[in-house]
Amino acid sequence: MGPLIPNGVIPYEWDNIIAILIGIAFGFVLEASGFSSSRKLAGVFYGYDFAVLKVFFTAALVAVIGVYYMDYLGFLDINQLYVHPTYLWGAIIGGIIMGVGFVAGGFCPGTSLCAVAIGKIDAIVYVGGIMVGIFIFSELYPLFQPIYEGYFYGNVTLEDSLGINPYWFVFIFSIIAIVAFVISDMVQKRVKKIFY
Amino acid sequence: MVKKKIAKVLAFRYKILAAILILLAGGLVLLPKYQKHEGIKPEELLSNTISPERYMTTDRLAHIIINQDPSFILIDVRDEKSFASYSLPNAINIPLKKLFDEDSEGYLNQNQFDVVLFSNDHFYADQAWILCNRLGYKHMRVLKGGINQWYTTIINPMKPAENMAAAEYELYTTRKAASMFFGVVYPEQVKVEAPKIVKEAPKKVITIEKKKKAEAEGGC
Repeated sequence: MGPLIPNGVIPYEWDNIIAILIGIAFGFVLEASGFSSSRKLAGVFYGYDFAVLKVFFTAALVAVIGVYYMDYLGFLDINQLYVHPTYLWGAIIGGIIMGVGFVAGGFCPGTSLCAVAIGKIDAIVYVGGIMVGIFIFSELYPLFQPIYEGYFYGNVTLEDSLGINPYWFVFIFSIIAIVAFVISDMVQKRVKKIFY
Repeated sequence: MVKKKIAKVLAFRYKILAAILILLAGGLVLLPKYQKHEGIKPEELLSNTISPERYMTTDRLAHIIINQDPSFILIDVRDEKSFASYSLPNAINIPLKKLFDEDSEGYLNQNQFDVVLFSNDHFYADQAWILCNRLGYKHMRVLKGGINQWYTTIINPMKPAENMAAAEYELYTTRKAASMFFGVVYPEQVKVEAPKIVKEAPKKVITIEKKKKAEAEGGC
């Protein structure tokens, strides 16, 4: 049956509208859970607030377990889902740049827009920085192109590249997540409490 | 009292959630595995199989070829040798063994053309049809009876007996016309007019008696 749009359960024309609705819901939840505060986001790097780690890890875990159960029960064909293509070195370098920006600015691209929406000045400056970065990247694109388009591994998943049974992977992944939560709680208790 | 109890349970809320997540993930590992079939559902395949649209008659195919209908691809699933010796006009050769080669997928797995599979009989073409259908390829047809049927109906149609219905005669003339299109030549087409033998009036031979030369007379 699923995915709904490729299989024609929901007409193709609806996908932009659905995207906007999901976007609004995502932004609302981010704002409501305090993710528009750079102090809360940066807390994960300084050890006084691990909400980011917990939220995104739990989201990934719930999604992956849900997808595999739906696939097992035949509601969803996992092979029809979009797998983001892997450009290895592009992803590594981009990840480092994004991480530095995350620590320095206290936002990731999504939450920065969320914070702009509630009028935070630091977020407006941050988004300005993103725009400058996009401009530089576009201007120097011929220079970056070999990294941007090279080291292409196709639409691979861990299941393909490690040859691991996906169900075991989900199980191990969830144990790692729970352990990470416990450790982060322990770290949080030791670090000096910061009021923000 | 109740509030206290709820508060007691809620103190463990993260542990309960963590336990639920691990249980669910463990459930995935422990669930009995079953072989998932690839391609379309069996019911769909069955309904495709018994659908009358599966086969195409040779008459219809002849009509398509003569009208140069661009929306059809003819695919010969026999081996190269048979293909080289005889095939239908403009057919593409994809032997059954090479059906799932990368080169052939472009012809089979598409949405623009109707694909007509054929072989000597429709046996191999049917096999190819089933395989392609299971993978969800669309617009697949099989030439009923294959090249043999093509030969007996289009190339060399049987003349109906005299006591047959008029429709049979019409069919025969259509097939005959089609076969002429494909290059068959009938004896009546090449009726060579018998050379007229003009009888020439016998010449009267008038013998003119020549005067006999007078024989030399005399002499000494």
